[in-house]
Amino acid sequence: MNEPHQSWQSARFIQPDQIDTEQEPAPSFTPATELPPEHTSIVNDLPTAEEPDNIPGQAPPKRFIGKVFTSCIAILLTSAAGMELYRLLDWSFELHTWAGMAVSILVVLTLVSGIWQLRKSLAGLKQLREAEHLRQEAETLQQEHTHGHAAQLLNKLEQHYKYHPQGQEVLQNIHHIDSTYNDTEIVHFLSKHALQQQDLQARHCIQRHSIEAGVLVAISPWASFDMLLAGWRNFRMLKEIMSIYGIAPSAVAQIKLLRKVLHSIAFAGLSDMAMDAGSTLLGTSVMAGLSARAGQGLGAGLFTARTGLTAMELCRPLPDNQQRTPLLKSIANELLCKISGTRD
Amino acid sequence: MGLAGRIKTLLGDERVQQLHGITERALEQHLSLAVTGLSRSGKTVFITALTQHLLHADQDQSLPLFTAAAEGRILSCRNLSAETDTPFPFQDNLTTLSTHPPAWPKSTRSLSSIKLAIRYRRPAGLKRFLGEFGTLYLDIIDYPGEWLLDLPLLQCDYAQWCREQQQLFSQSPRRDIIESWYKQQQHIDWLAPASAHQLDQLALEFRQRLQQLREPPHALSLLQPGRLLLEQAESPDPSLLLFPVLTEQAFAEDIPEDSALAEMKRRYQTYCAHWIKPFYKRHFCQFDRQLVLTDCLQTLNQGEACFNDMQRALNAILQNFDYGRAGWLRRLIKPRIERVLFAATKADHVTANQHPNLDRFLDLIIQDARREIRFEEVDTRCMALASIRSTEAAQAKLDGQVLSCLRGHRKESNEEVALFPGEIPVELPQPEDWNESRFRFIDFAPRALPRSGLKPEHHIRLDQALEYLTGDLFR
Repeated sequence: MNEPHQSWQSARFIQPDQIDTEQEPAPSFTPATELPPEHTSIVNDLPTAEEPDNIPGQAPPKRFIGKVFTSCIAILLTSAAGMELYRLLDWSFELHTWAGMAVSILVVLTLVSGIWQLRKSLAGLKQLREAEHLRQEAETLQQEHTHGHAAQLLNKLEQHYKYHPQGQEVLQNIHHIDSTYNDTEIVHFLSKHALQQQDLQARHCIQRHSIEAGVLVAISPWASFDMLLAGWRNFRMLKEIMSIYGIAPSAVAQIKLLRKVLHSIAFAGLSDMAMDAGSTLLGTSVMAGLSARAGQGLGAGLFTARTGLTAMELCRPLPDNQQRTPLLKSIANELLCKISGTRD
Repeated sequence: MGLAGRIKTLLGDERVQQLHGITERALEQHLSLAVTGLSRSGKTVFITALTQHLLHADQDQSLPLFTAAAEGRILSCRNLSAETDTPFPFQDNLTTLSTHPPAWPKSTRSLSSIKLAIRYRRPAGLKRFLGEFGTLYLDIIDYPGEWLLDLPLLQCDYAQWCREQQQLFSQSPRRDIIESWYKQQQHIDWLAPASAHQLDQLALEFRQRLQQLREPPHALSLLQPGRLLLEQAESPDPSLLLFPVLTEQAFAEDIPEDSALAEMKRRYQTYCAHWIKPFYKRHFCQFDRQLVLTDCLQTLNQGEACFNDMQRALNAILQNFDYGRAGWLRRLIKPRIERVLFAATKADHVTANQHPNLDRFLDLIIQDARREIRFEEVDTRCMALASIRSTEAAQAKLDGQVLSCLRGHRKESNEEVALFPGEIPVELPQPEDWNESRFRFIDFAPRALPRSGLKPEHHIRLDQALEYLTGDLFR
């Protein structure tokens, strides 16, 4: 009789070392191995600056719709204006040839002067940008204690001041640079000596304008008119500071600068604010004795001064290491004298 | 006797002088600047050049990076050295440096002090309430650098000193130089009485060996006792006949009163009490700022032994100064050093592009001392400077490459040379690298320091050193 096929395996003991596991369990550590040194290559420890492409939570900005919107508006407006212009010309020529001529001359004149203005504005913008680049470059040089890397900066600075009325002074100082100076010292030296005259002028201008603005606000009888006055003063001052530092004071550049100034004042670091407030505080203890209007005047004056100093920093082609507090303090003092003097 | 006289006798002369100093300090600004440096590190030249530039600060624009002078706020400077007991020979040094051909001043052999009164206009600000004009009194003393080496002796007794010297003299090149002298010493029983003549002879020979170690090719720095290096007399003061006992007997427990060792011990004590202490107490406890002058190029020329020795010497010396932050009151009563500038001198002896490296090499030499000083929250800085610039920057074309080099006159022969002196390493060179083909720094003769019409070209970074050390007092 056939042994019935056992459908199951009998239980038995197996020696542990006989177990033939299909997969060797991976050791929990990497064994120490000796490698021939020529097969290795040095790994740079410093992380290379990789583009942060996979940082979560930074969705690409949705600018597309905005762009479409702006371009559509632009196309619409230009075509409408063009159509209107065409109709105006057409109508005027229909009216009389002379009238048509007059209108076309007017249009040409407007176009030419507009382009001229635009060019000037662009030049001002370019100079402003140049100054910023120069300043950034100088700041980087100041951080590093290298020697002989400043030549490029000096060339650019010479170019920047080529047509400036006080360019001669800057150029002279560039030629006075000692051959032993390192880059930090060159920046320091130029910032201190080459721009001395311009700094002085700018500081005078700031002082004059802030005091005038302060006094104006203090004696003006209409509250809303004050603001207008202070704003007007600030704008005038920006223009002067720009021309002092050799930047063409075109309207566009001026607006750009004003934007930057307001931006930097609004987002100034806490320490800056504290420092500026310190000088104002000096005034406030005295201010308690003054009327609200005089206090407003002081505030407007100091705000103008702060705007001016920030504009000065932004227009300067080299970083400014001077403290701004002494000037703010002296302005505050002078303003107090003037305001209390006018009220007595 | 008046009231003042009575108070004087009650307090004693020293106290009265101290009080006088305090009131003077309270009313005016006094600054005591410690110009520290081993011998031949350029202390005298620094003081002379600094004085000359300050005296002309109102007319010549020779200090463009010294803010007060650059802003034209220095009205005038007056040399008040004549008021001091031992005036600094400023005119003599200036004459030496400004004649044709100019020469370096002779090495200093005695103490002298200089006092400058600098009248300046205060900048706009709160300090104007003190008056528009202020005066800063700047006190500097000049002394032989060898004397500094003695300061560490104040902190140890004879046995400790002997142990230190034993360690030093067990290494080459010291060991080779004193070998025969050491053998003589070994033959003596130090616990038995010895003839004074024998000791004197040993001392004179030790002095000669010490002076030999100071000269190139060894050019060592840490050679004590320092005053022996200057002494040339055949039969000097007995306390100057001092040497360490290098045998094990120096550390014996009980020493008989009449033994040779006891005699050496007495000489050591007299030396400390008579030569070092008065100098230290009188001049070295009152500093507000410190300038440490170091000649790095010498160490590069001479090799690693010289480097190590200079490092050890500077560390030992700087431990004797009182560092720490000092407030206004503290500065009145017991001043201490609150700012230290480490300067590598002879910056004109290397090309300008090597100055950053020179700074870093200086940092290598003084890093231990600097760490100690920083621990006390004291500001420190390294700078390469030249009090008087003796070379001109030049360029040479060699094998199609443009090489920046120096042009000047040799110190010894005064012939004109152009030299590319080599690059300063930023790390300690390997032993095989200390050789003449890598570093060849020669000594240049000075260019004349004019009596008027000083220019920034006459120095390197003297203005920045001055700004760092004193700038805050003019603000």
